[in-house]
Amino acid sequence: MNKILSTIISLFLFITILNAQENGFSKVKDMEKTKSDLSKLTENTSAIKSQFVQEKHLSFLTENIRSKGEFYFKSPNSLRWEYSEPFEYIIVFNDKNIMIKDGAKISTYDTESNKMFSEINNMMIGTIQGNLFTDNERFDVEYFENASQYLLELDPKLPEMKSMLKTIKIFIDKSDISVAKIKMIESSDDYTSIEFINRKLNQEIKESIFKL
Amino acid sequence: MNIEHRTPNLEIKQIFRISSFIIRYSVFLIIVFLSSCANPHKNLPSTELRVSEIKNIPYALPYTDKAIIYKTDISFYKNDISGLLIIKRTDENVYRIALTTQFGLKIFDFELNHGELKVKYCVEYLNKKVILNTFETDFNLLLLQNKFDSIQRIQNQKQNQTIWQLKSGKLNYNYIEDVNSQNVVRISFKKRNSEKISVGLYAYRGDIPGEIKLEHHNIKLKMDLKLIQ
Repeated sequence: MNKILSTIISLFLFITILNAQENGFSKVKDMEKTKSDLSKLTENTSAIKSQFVQEKHLSFLTENIRSKGEFYFKSPNSLRWEYSEPFEYIIVFNDKNIMIKDGAKISTYDTESNKMFSEINNMMIGTIQGNLFTDNERFDVEYFENASQYLLELDPKLPEMKSMLKTIKIFIDKSDISVAKIKMIESSDDYTSIEFINRKLNQEIKESIFKL
Repeated sequence: MNIEHRTPNLEIKQIFRISSFIIRYSVFLIIVFLSSCANPHKNLPSTELRVSEIKNIPYALPYTDKAIIYKTDISFYKNDISGLLIIKRTDENVYRIALTTQFGLKIFDFELNHGELKVKYCVEYLNKKVILNTFETDFNLLLLQNKFDSIQRIQNQKQNQTIWQLKSGKLNYNYIEDVNSQNVVRISFKKRNSEKISVGLYAYRGDIPGEIKLEHHNIKLKMDLKLIQ
């Protein structure tokens, strides 16, 4: 009887622990090694070219909404998101400018005047370059790992950010220390995940890519 | 001297009287003209329907159980908002309507429950009563959730149209069906016979409009929707 009870209790505990964190990940054991691995993120990623698949989960939908495209990054702050599905849409962040190509229309904004865009820009670059998780003023960070990946869970501290996002999960491949996936979870538990596939690191990217 | 002085004065007065008569008369004429314009369906054959016959309007958007996704551009005074608009019927007369940015973050997430807009989430800059009321009116119009007391079917054979007119006091909602395609091609919301919102529905894919253009005439608000799924 006792055996059954303890099995039930341990099963229950196991399920609770599983629920608390992403499947198969546990807290990192060797924090120093983790931090020294992650410090390579910045130098590993002075340029990235990659494809991406974005999934939007909304609680009231049975299927996620999928988008796809190509992603380019060049240090220190040039970004290009080129969506090809479900429709063509390009957004380029270049220094202080944001350019958007939507169909035939090109619009230019200034990050200083558009707070929401500059927040997205900072977050994306901070995620890829690794300075987001050393930002103790803006995030509480927890470190997890499995055999092939590190998982960093960032909880925003600032109220404006908190009202948009509950947690940002960043998955980093151990093999090349580069970001493989980002999952942004909203307070309602709806989320957006962006997976980077076929990543090419530190290869030449033409400057014209960051212009429209 | 005096007489000479008065004569031009009299002339001015007369001219003034005549012109004021002309102005008044033309104002009267304009009013007559406008009021005849204001109700273009007045002399057309019409049938009073039972309220439950609203379901006979050939407009499937409010009834589909699929999630409908539109690429959306909203221009609101000097603000441009773009993203994906997701509409999902969750129950009879209950809808979830969410707008997300290209990156997936939510801009708003509403529930429209029997014509009443409930906010599940809304970014701060849009979370204002005036704006929310506007969205409520717009989505009620698009999803045929307006409150009304009477419904009429009007035949406009000249234009090859059937007009489904819902009335509630001074408000009226016209769903204009093209008889050939049997699709609603235009929606018009009027208050005291002046048009406040007009909606054009184009490029039907099956029974769902492939393109929707909604425009307010008293405020600078436009919504352009293009069907993705």
